[in-house]
Amino acid sequence: MQIVKKLLHARGLTSLLFLIALFVIVGIINPSFLSPSNIAACFNTSVVYTLVAVGMAFTLFTGNLDVSIGSNLGLVAAVVGSMLRDGQPLMLAVLVGLLIGAVIGLVNAWGVAVMGAPALIFTLGVNGILRGIMYVYTNGAWVENLPKEFKDFSSVTAVGDLTVYYCVTILAVVGIHFLLTRTRRGRYFQAVGDNDQGATLVGLPTLQTKVLAYVICGVMAAIAGIIFASRIGFVTPQSGDGYEMKAIAACVLGGVSLLGGVGTVLGSAIGAVIMASISYLLVFMGFSSNYDNAITGVILIVIVVADALIQHRSMVKNRRARLMARVSQDDAADAGAEKGGDAK
Amino acid sequence: MPMANEPSKIAQEAQPQVSKKKDVLLSVRDIHKSFGTNHVLKGISLDLRPGEVLALIGGNGAGKSTLMKIVMGIYGPDSGEVYIDNEKVDVSNPKVALEHSIYMVPQEPMLFPNMTVRENVTIGFNARQADLDRELMEVMDQIGWHLDPDRKASTLSIAEQGMVEILRGMMRHSEVLILDEPTSALTFDEVNALFRVIEGLREKNIGIIYITHRLAEVFQIATSVSILRDGIVTMQGSTKDFTREDLVKGLLPPNAGSVKEAAAAQKREIDYTAKPVLELQNFSGYGFADVNLKVYPGEIVGLAGVIGAGRTEMATTIFGRDKVLGGKVLLDGKDITGLSTTAVIGEGVNYVPEDRFRDGLFRIRDVEENTTSALLAHGLGKFILGRKEAERVSQHYVDNFRTKVTGLTQEVGGLSGGNQQKIVIGRAFATNPRLVILDEPTRGIDAAARGDVYAVLQQLRETGVSILLISSDMEEVVELADRALTMFQGRINGEFVGDQITQDNLMSASFGVTGEARSA
Repeated sequence: MQIVKKLLHARGLTSLLFLIALFVIVGIINPSFLSPSNIAACFNTSVVYTLVAVGMAFTLFTGNLDVSIGSNLGLVAAVVGSMLRDGQPLMLAVLVGLLIGAVIGLVNAWGVAVMGAPALIFTLGVNGILRGIMYVYTNGAWVENLPKEFKDFSSVTAVGDLTVYYCVTILAVVGIHFLLTRTRRGRYFQAVGDNDQGATLVGLPTLQTKVLAYVICGVMAAIAGIIFASRIGFVTPQSGDGYEMKAIAACVLGGVSLLGGVGTVLGSAIGAVIMASISYLLVFMGFSSNYDNAITGVILIVIVVADALIQHRSMVKNRRARLMARVSQDDAADAGAEKGGDAK
Repeated sequence: MPMANEPSKIAQEAQPQVSKKKDVLLSVRDIHKSFGTNHVLKGISLDLRPGEVLALIGGNGAGKSTLMKIVMGIYGPDSGEVYIDNEKVDVSNPKVALEHSIYMVPQEPMLFPNMTVRENVTIGFNARQADLDRELMEVMDQIGWHLDPDRKASTLSIAEQGMVEILRGMMRHSEVLILDEPTSALTFDEVNALFRVIEGLREKNIGIIYITHRLAEVFQIATSVSILRDGIVTMQGSTKDFTREDLVKGLLPPNAGSVKEAAAAQKREIDYTAKPVLELQNFSGYGFADVNLKVYPGEIVGLAGVIGAGRTEMATTIFGRDKVLGGKVLLDGKDITGLSTTAVIGEGVNYVPEDRFRDGLFRIRDVEENTTSALLAHGLGKFILGRKEAERVSQHYVDNFRTKVTGLTQEVGGLSGGNQQKIVIGRAFATNPRLVILDEPTRGIDAAARGDVYAVLQQLRETGVSILLISSDMEEVVELADRALTMFQGRINGEFVGDQITQDNLMSASFGVTGEARSA
């Protein structure tokens, strides 16, 4: 019973149930959807979203946000893609890509955690700069003719119809989940987002933790960029545009709080599958996949507004409880006065 | 009996009795600290020994919290030293303090609301979780307070949250525990439970610094006491050498008497047979209860008390910012209970909040816009703002209050604190109210500007406006009020008129020492 109760409280599980319900409903409307290959496609498509969502989750845990991941992903995809096209070794290209991601994470961390700029605005600015750099780097042209092996690797499957990319990613996410929940330092991320001042007072390295969250987010977006290039096979100057909304929506859907301190990376990975499935499911239900972004936006708004309402209500309730506790009860006050008199 | 004016002598007298015990756990020597031009600590020295419960008392702004933040490494001192176990330590951040076994339980518990009790207590330790869990259980056994370690911190009561903070300190094998007003949000039973825990800690030879606003608690739980006033220690010694009267004396400035006489001369005759402008009948809300209060035409009623007594909550509830739980608010006999803020202003009540930056001023707007911003909803034309009228009103208040501005178009953020306050007060009066509630009108303002603000209030009172003055500065209440009330733990516990309005009386009542208890 205790375990059932606990499971129901976990919002990551709620989103898994939501995902299953979504598949079942679409399956009822259009039974041809319910084939292993279609369902595997939903998961395989989600690999890029999963990576950016998990990275985003780190910044959200610490009470921050990173909306530069879209351009980060695009820039890394373009750089890695062009290096591979020009015959550079894969290892070097990947290393350069990861380095770019880490540097972007450091820049964001400097602005937000060190200088104290508002996270949304600062990373939005970085997003613009990165997109600009990408246009200059590519001259506004597509990066095409990537090596065939690089592209083909994206369709290599590991388990059933699931690709190697997805299987490795999901194993990594489970590993990260373990590190975050079961290790001493892992808990710091959410502690910092839950109560920044409190974390400082018990001696946690708050600044270091916030910086690390941004670097992880930047590197995850870079990995997502490399896999993006491999899966799609070409990079346009708009690649990665709008991924920040998808990542945030995936996190929120998976139970990560925008106020910091709450959620799991497993939840955001499930949220990413839902996000990736929307356009796919729309087609099976006979709608245009053009509705994809609008639906993502609606889901994001509904959840965030509901969260804000709950949050506000509990805040008012706590404040009132605290104030009521300060008012002396008539008899208690008398007793207190007598006690004091005796002591003297 | 030790006198307020001889701190050094008292300190010497007190020394021999306590130093018979073991070594000094914590010692601060000649600590100075300024924030800008505000000299908060002017050479504070304190010692804490094992098993000692040192009560630290003082009015708002006396420097208690600043001193503790220096001990915890949240602030650095301008000069002075901190010794821990007789060793000089540079406490540059909270981590250093923690490493030296000092733990502070802040006034508002600093828990991680979304984590469990277990995680809250054990986070930051470098040990196996199983060991930490076992130790947590042992510590809970020791002090006899059991909490389900798997409960989320957000579900805990305030008392339980404070308890988790104490557990954190215990887990760190803290030898010095600082409790900052731990009982301010506790019920009577919870206070007793906390006191039992403190007794237990004392037996374990832990040194405790106990910050409080309640003098009764000093005699209940503390073994020694230090009084801070205006950044100096005015009295310290063993609790048994003091009476409540001594403590109140230590809290007051040495010249408390003379101010009263000077102020009394200015008092005006108020017609108490007239119909009161404001009347509260058994008014209750969140943070205050059963308040009965009358303000007569042209009267300044002072409402004294310590921060957290419920005065601000009462004012904002009258002003329509929080829910009324019971009772009535009458304005000129008309029931205005529970009206919206806009409606209350329309009826002729205005409120000047405590924090003029957060709630009051539009900092990057100019003087004129700030003065007339309250008129946007009322008075300045139905749709298009009357520019001329706005200018006239603003100039009127600038001239009358002698506000130092370069012009009506100067940005308010660039003005001094005193002048900003005059603008906020001007704005409140620009709505031609029947009653204005001022909340701590001179907090953080220098002495000269304070005099100006007082003059402005005297002048406004001449026009027949009534003022309810909320202030924790007893001197201010003595100087301005025709009648004074005190609030303690959400209830009015004293009323003073004429000669009774003294800093001594107000301070005693604000700290919960009422007439009968004092003479007992």
